[in-house]
Amino acid sequence: MARQALNIYSVIIYIFLLLPIAVVVGASFNSGEFLTFPPQGFSLRWYVAFLNNEVFMRAIRTSLWIAAVAMVVSGIIGTMAAVYYVNYAARSKETIRIAMLSPLLLPEVLTAISLLFFVYAVGIGTTTMFGLLVGHVLITLPFVFMNVTSSLEGYDPDWSMAAQSLGASRWTRFRRITLPLIKPGVFSGCLFAFVISFDVFTISFMLKSIGSSTLPIQLFDYLKTNYTPEAAAVSTVSIVVTILVVIISEKVLGLRVHRF
Amino acid sequence: MTKVTIRNLTKIYGQAIKAVDSISLEIPSGEFVSLLGPSGCGKTTTLKMLAGFESVTSGSIAFDGDDVVAVPPEGRDIGMVFQNYALFPHMTVRGNLAFGLEMRKVPKAEMQRRIDATLDLVQLGPYADRYPRQLSGGQQQRVAIGRALVIEPRILLLDEPLANLDAKLREEMRVFIRDLQRRVGITTVYVTHDQAEAMTMSDRVVVMFGGKIAQQAPPSDIYDYPVSREVAGFVGQVNFIDGFVASVDGDLACIETPFGPAEVPAKTRGRGSAVTLALRPEAIDIVPDTAGHGIPATVVSSYFSGAILDYTLAMADGTKVDVKTIARTRFEPGAQVRLSVDAHRFWPIEAA
Repeated sequence: MARQALNIYSVIIYIFLLLPIAVVVGASFNSGEFLTFPPQGFSLRWYVAFLNNEVFMRAIRTSLWIAAVAMVVSGIIGTMAAVYYVNYAARSKETIRIAMLSPLLLPEVLTAISLLFFVYAVGIGTTTMFGLLVGHVLITLPFVFMNVTSSLEGYDPDWSMAAQSLGASRWTRFRRITLPLIKPGVFSGCLFAFVISFDVFTISFMLKSIGSSTLPIQLFDYLKTNYTPEAAAVSTVSIVVTILVVIISEKVLGLRVHRF
Repeated sequence: MTKVTIRNLTKIYGQAIKAVDSISLEIPSGEFVSLLGPSGCGKTTTLKMLAGFESVTSGSIAFDGDDVVAVPPEGRDIGMVFQNYALFPHMTVRGNLAFGLEMRKVPKAEMQRRIDATLDLVQLGPYADRYPRQLSGGQQQRVAIGRALVIEPRILLLDEPLANLDAKLREEMRVFIRDLQRRVGITTVYVTHDQAEAMTMSDRVVVMFGGKIAQQAPPSDIYDYPVSREVAGFVGQVNFIDGFVASVDGDLACIETPFGPAEVPAKTRGRGSAVTLALRPEAIDIVPDTAGHGIPATVVSSYFSGAILDYTLAMADGTKVDVKTIARTRFEPGAQVRLSVDAHRFWPIEAA
């Protein structure tokens, strides 16, 4: 009885969470002029409109590019931070953890505004994408840090010592032993970083460089003046990109987890 | 083959915690030495200093006369076997063995040859392409030993390598490791808290207490001629018998004990001084009360443990004595018996 109730409850929660997405996807196939649901007839015209919309296409390229760079930079910094945190931080451990996670703990808008002040104060400004990239790295860093940290907790320091006794230098030990064994954590951390960066709004809104825009910002701008199903098509593409990234990286790059 | 020389080696943690307190030890080339002691005696710290994983507070460690204190572990050319084996889980058995050779940039063909030879040595040929998780505890243990030996290190260090194995496998591995070490002829330092392990495997046992070496000698000498109560008690069961010097004749002293007179090597004490003698439980034999000779005693408890019977007996004055016998006749608690002692097995420990 209780189990059945729980099942029903879970299904309702999922419907609640996924229904808006289903509505958006459904609305994107609308053949009418306005964003309505249920759709008035089936058509791919809004996808064609989106693909021919140079502004949107530029925005999606920018988003993918920023997400890729943020993922790589966060991946490297976050992994290094996690290795230091687990193996070397002694008394400063708690401080480091809170510092690394603070972008998650603080309201995003606060981080964004402070960062905006900062980039102007140090003269970087927003004429280039640098400030925006810094913002994306900052906001995605905690995800890499948390994932790598948790996979390092299952890492036996004796493995490194064994490699050392066999003659491996510090860098070789990291490259040949540590990194392959924490790969699943690094991997899912990077995945999170990519997806979060691709979706993030507030940071991008504050820090975007003049004349360029990420997909969520462009969508927001578009919706201020238009109310066509093209917005739903853009959202659907954005959802599909996110899901594709997850699936492709799992299948192609391989998350071969070693079980001990 | 390498000779290891340790001089006044000391390790102090923090301000004053002496984990290892000025120990000196010479390990001849090819010798199998065990560091034996309770946890916290400094044996593992000593091993880690030999490997280079623990810094040295003062003193020196030399391999064949070359001081290695400043050399990091990766430059010491040691083979180390860890308690939990520490096999690389993402590499096959062959990959684990190859790792150290790759670090040494051994050519491919030579590498294959050495790996195959080592796999034969540790009897793992058919398992070369398995991952560690697909192997049993004993097989993983042999991979760990193979991985340490394939690089042909100067010395082999083993840190309680049998602690995680079950009793039967542990005994098999003792013999296996000992045979292997003899065949390869490598200088070996073995850390353990298990006295039976140290006894069966070593050329020499170094007993450590509180960061100091209490005694170092071949296993039989440690057992038969312990220098102190602690050593005697740590390497197997022992009875401490109080007596006094009845007479001294040259190098021999005659000690009067509740078991009758005993002749032991004379120390510098004069007649009448009190002495404590060590007597191993198997040096005492139990005979029926009807035998008419021997010292009367009462059985307090008797336990059957396979090969031997474990007795605790009370003598007339209430002194408790432990006896181990291989006799099949079992005396029940409360039985009156007589004890006969092999008088050569008394060994003087210290004054009572």
